[in-house]
Amino acid sequence: MEVEAAKLIGAGLAMIGAIGAGAGVGIVVGGAVQAMGRNPDATGTIQTNMILGIAFAEAIAIYCLVVALLILFVF
Amino acid sequence: MEALGINLPFFLVQVVNLIIMYVVVAKWIVGPISGLLEKRRATIAQGLEDAREAADARANAEKEAEKILAEAQAKAASLVREATERAEAAGRDVKAAAEAEAGKAREKAMAEVEDERSRILSDLRGQVAALSIAATQKLVGDALDDKRQHALVDEFFSGVKAGKVVIMEGAGVTGQSAEVTSALPLTDAEQATVKKDVLAKSGAAAVTFRVDPSILGGLVIRVGDKVLDGSVAGKLEGLRANLR
Amino acid sequence: MSEKPKKRVWARWVVLAAIILGLFLFTGFFGIGLGIAPIMPHVYLPGEKLSETPILGIEGFYPTNTLVGLGLANLIVILLAVGVSSGVKSGKMVLTGISGAVEALLEMLYGITEGTAGKWTKQIFPWFATITLLVLAANWSGLVPGNETIGLIHEYKNGHPLIQAGPLTTIWEGGAGVDVESYDGKKYAVVPFLRPVSTDLNFTFALAVVAVVMIQVFGFRSQGMAYMTKFWNTKTLFSKPIFGVIDFGVGILELISEFSKILSFAFRLFGNMFAGAVLLFVIGSLVPVFAQAMFYLLEFFVGLIQAIVFGMLTMVFMAQATQGHGEHHEEEAHA
Repeated sequence: MEVEAAKLIGAGLAMIGAIGAGAGVGIVVGGAVQAMGRNPDATGTIQTNMILGIAFAEAIAIYCLVVALLILFVF
Repeated sequence: MEALGINLPFFLVQVVNLIIMYVVVAKWIVGPISGLLEKRRATIAQGLEDAREAADARANAEKEAEKILAEAQAKAASLVREATERAEAAGRDVKAAAEAEAGKAREKAMAEVEDERSRILSDLRGQVAALSIAATQKLVGDALDDKRQHALVDEFFSGVKAGKVVIMEGAGVTGQSAEVTSALPLTDAEQATVKKDVLAKSGAAAVTFRVDPSILGGLVIRVGDKVLDGSVAGKLEGLRANLR
Repeated sequence: MSEKPKKRVWARWVVLAAIILGLFLFTGFFGIGLGIAPIMPHVYLPGEKLSETPILGIEGFYPTNTLVGLGLANLIVILLAVGVSSGVKSGKMVLTGISGAVEALLEMLYGITEGTAGKWTKQIFPWFATITLLVLAANWSGLVPGNETIGLIHEYKNGHPLIQAGPLTTIWEGGAGVDVESYDGKKYAVVPFLRPVSTDLNFTFALAVVAVVMIQVFGFRSQGMAYMTKFWNTKTLFSKPIFGVIDFGVGILELISEFSKILSFAFRLFGNMFAGAVLLFVIGSLVPVFAQAMFYLLEFFVGLIQAIVFGMLTMVFMAQATQGHGEHHEEEAHA
């Protein structure tokens, strides 16, 4: 049972990394919305790049999630 | 790897499957759709081209219409100008004709007035002569013969004595034109005499006669810029100056 | 006007019936409900075996439920392909129905590709379209009800006891109503017949590896052997004392980043979809009625966005590979 408890704690700790991804996504979207507000004509390009940026930032959170899932269900 | 569920046969199956799917999608989805997009783009381009041509045609038609309008306006303007000119010319002609008519009428009237006046003055002269002779006879009591008296009176009025203009004797004036003023109209014979004499003495080309009752009698002859005063009024004036 | 409201009314009654059924099954209000508490389904990372006999006798190659999911995704894509090609062949200028939606999606993606890839659009776009459509079909097929829930009961060590509850045999987490007599000490779990293939790492890794290999292929096709200098940059190693070494190091880092791209691609898609599935499990076991519908909507968007992101990243990397990198490195070195 100690191993089980350690697994749960470890999975929880692994998800701390999602903080960075959340902040990153917020910054990306904030910047993109400002840019769109200043130059509405460039909305298409900005959206494309914004989604790419979100995907990169979100990838970090997904890595955390994968690690947590691995800890919980695989090992 | 086992815990993650990754194994080579599955992986290869997925790769092969992906390549098959690539072929399917590229051949039956992307191909037709890009063809469709191309067709649609071509249609839109064709539509735009048509629209452009239509716009061109319309612009041409507008230009044509403008040209026609301008031509029509020019034509109308020229017509109006022509009509105006013609009307003005006609008006001028009418006016000129009317003026000429009026001028002629006026001249005729003036001439008639002149004739009338001359006639009245001629009549007056006869009467004045008769009156003055009668008065003289009464005054002098002596009877000059009638012919002599008439000659005297005529001389008084015409300033012509024995076919000569009295004041021209020894005056020696010359000029281009002469003007003879008499108190009463001269008779044709007198006029001819005066004319001949003045012409001969002054060398003038033409003589004009005027009538001015204010000189009372005799003749005032102006030749060029010189005036020979043989009038009764002038003599009276000279007499008045001497008496003073 | 008369057709649509009728359909709506019909759908409304279905929803109401589903709600009543849910309340009846999962709650014990007023003693009329069955009060079956939904258990947390087991979370199993690899695709589960449906049978113990390997396909074609190949070692380790068992028929799994993700393989069935792959078949479903393929089927969807092939049906779309048939619909689109027949729709276009019929000579219509604008496609209608599902193929119209596919056309609209691909037109949007084509616009993005044209803006990024330039003259290589014709070569790159089929990959973009393939990856997006296949991943989209895989992701959305996981939202079909019955997916990951209907299956055979297998013995499973982390599962739950199997009990008799009246006429029903069910997997029960245990509790007050457990009939201890029927409990044989073994634990069981449901192995679903169908599981979306994007929750299988084999699929995502296959996609990632093919995508990265094709990125290199496009690099070599556009630049020839000059593409190699991106990774093995000895051009300035001796001519510029310090920056040459840095350039060489950057080249090695590029080589490493190509491999990290594979991991990044594979785990991004897998993580998103697997986490989505787990999220639905957890929400379903916490709040039996209503709540899951909201998360279905979320998963709908996540599935679409992940499909587009996977395709778009592939497209962007391909476009980058077709463009020169030499001058780019110079800037980086001096920055």
